[in-house]
This record gives sequence, C-alpha cells and structure tokens, in this order.
Amino acid sequence: MTVTLADTPRFETERLILRAPEARDWETAAAFLVSDRARFIGGPYTQTAAWRVFGHAVGHWVLRGYGQFVLEEKASGSLLGSVGPWYPNGWAECELGWSLWHASAEGKGYACEAAERLRRFAYDDLGWTTAVSYIDADNARSIALAERLGCVRDREARLPVGEGSEDDATEVWVFRHPAPAEAAA
Amino acid sequence: MSLTPAPVLEAGRLRLRGPEMRDFDPLAEFFADPDRAWGFGGAETRPDAWRWFASNIGHWHIHGYGYFTIEMTRDAAPAGLCGIWNPEGWPEPELGWLVFAPFEGQGIACEAALRAREWAYEDLGFTTLTSNILPGNARSVALAERLGARYERTYQNVTMGEDMLYRHPGPRELDSDGGAEAYA
Repeated sequence: MTVTLADTPRFETERLILRAPEARDWETAAAFLVSDRARFIGGPYTQTAAWRVFGHAVGHWVLRGYGQFVLEEKASGSLLGSVGPWYPNGWAECELGWSLWHASAEGKGYACEAAERLRRFAYDDLGWTTAVSYIDADNARSIALAERLGCVRDREARLPVGEGSEDDATEVWVFRHPAPAEAAA
Repeated sequence: MSLTPAPVLEAGRLRLRGPEMRDFDPLAEFFADPDRAWGFGGAETRPDAWRWFASNIGHWHIHGYGYFTIEMTRDAAPAGLCGIWNPEGWPEPELGWLVFAPFEGQGIACEAALRAREWAYEDLGFTTLTSNILPGNARSVALAERLGARYERTYQNVTMGEDMLYRHPGPRELDSDGGAEAYA
C-alpha cells in the first residue's frame, strides 16, 4: 500500500520545485539530520530520532494543513533541503523555517528563493499576518538569510516552549519577517 | 491536507481510521498521565506528544501502515490507538495498542488488535507480528496472551530500553485454529 499526502500545493520558482515531503526524501533528509549540519535544529540526531523528525515533518502537513516543502533543483532533480511554514505544538508563533541539507547547496540563494515564495504562500494563501524565524544565535548563515529576507530581531517575542531556560546551551533569537504589505512592496 | 488512501476498518462497535487532528487532545492527555503512559513511552510534554503523534502520521506515509485511531462507532469518539508500528531501529513490525482512560476495561484494545492483526495478515500480507512490552506491564502481557501471542525474548529497544518481545500466531496458525475469533 502506498500512502501519500494528498492535495498539497506545489510551486515552481526560477530554479526550484517546492513540494510536500515524499517517502523517497527520507535517505537524503536522514543524511542531513545525523550530520553536524543539523546542530542548529536540535541535532545531530541518531538515525532513530532522525526518522521521527522526518515523520513529524510529514505529520505536520496533515495536522496543520501546511508544513515544510522539499526543495528540488529543477536542473538536476537534486534534493536541496526544506523550507516552509512551521507551527508544531509548543511554538509561540507561526514560523518560516529553512534547512539546506548539504554544503554544496549553500551560497547560491536557494534558501532565499524558496523562503520568499513560501512566505508569500503563508501570507496570501494561509492568511498569516506575521511570521517569525527562530534561529540559533551562533547560526551566522541563517541570520544573514533572515536579514536578506528583511527580518529584524524581535527581542520581545516569546520563545517556543522549552527554549531560553537558564541551562540551555544554545540561545535562540527570534527574527520577525516584514508584514504582508511590506513584504509585497 | 490528508493522507490517502487511509483505510477505514469496521470492527463492530469500533472503527479503525487514520489519525486526525481531533485525536491529539485525548492522546496528549494519555501521554501526560505517567501511570497510564509509562508502558508506551514516547512523550513527556504536550509538544513531545505532538511530535509523537505527527511522527505516527509520517510513519503511515513511509511504510503505508501505522497506528490507527480507534473510534467508537456510535458517536465517533476517539477511544485509543491500535496498529502496526515499525519506526527506524525497531526489531520488526509490532502490533501495538493504547486505550484512553474513559474507555479502559471494556475489551476495546483486544477487539481493535484482532482487527488490525487481521488487516496486517490479509491486506498487507504480513506473515508474522510481534508486540513489544516493557517488563512489568502486566495488563499488556495479559492482552498479548489473550491474543495468542507468546513470550519470545528480552532485548534492548532503541528508545524503550529493556523490552520483551511477544510473537503472535501467524496467519496460517490462526486459520488452522478456526480463525482469529478463537482468541477473542
């Protein structure tokens, strides 16, 4: 039996196809999740935990009606990473999140291209009136992308449940995206 | 957004169907009650419960099977979960179950497990099934035995630690015994 996500949106940008996760993404996603590259999103994970993280990303679509899109490079069909609206239980606000799955996908503006399109999706189709991105304070590349997307750090914003405690080894910063009208301008 | 095709299995007063958002609150309540949830593991906080529940939906997506929600036919109230569970690191697919507090003691897990096992054998083509039970979970051992399962070995589970593996009668064995009903 094949069980798939139904009725999920699919977008094309200049260089990318953006689509909901599929079972065939698992191995590429897993390689990322168990690697040091996942250190800013709670990893590196064991293979066992990575499987559940991937499963969560799929289930999020069913429970919320939206979720992380997988980025496919049009030219090569390569799976580059995931970007999208994200609001699991415990999050203080709706987030636009992103991860590039390998170093070779970095530095080409792919995450930015996907994030701009999917922010528009969140504002225009999901009706969000604001969005944040939660970013590890040490994640300079991600902070640079947030700034490129017009985000500013919001020191008043609440953090997800469990973040920001005294014994937390990492600090999470909240970046607020430009509002719909501003982002469209 | 939905999973398709999510099978719906009728089982008398029960119906087994794919997970839905409205199942989350009763499931989170179950996980928040350590007396009830310790044998199942998985989630300490509400956000953890969410991640577990969402990962079960992903499990369906990856394997084509997972935990059904058990609902009462009469009013569609979610009564628990039952299905086939085989996340990364598991020794082999298992038949698992949990019942929400207000529905305990009514034989619901047993009926649901019989129906899910029948589905796994007849529709998915499984030739064997296990159930993993934590040492000390006498209620689950009793149900496994009622379903005809036998203790096979104790092993280290990747997330649960020391765990007992029970093996269910296979499809042929059930046929020769006059069907699953013989164990109900």
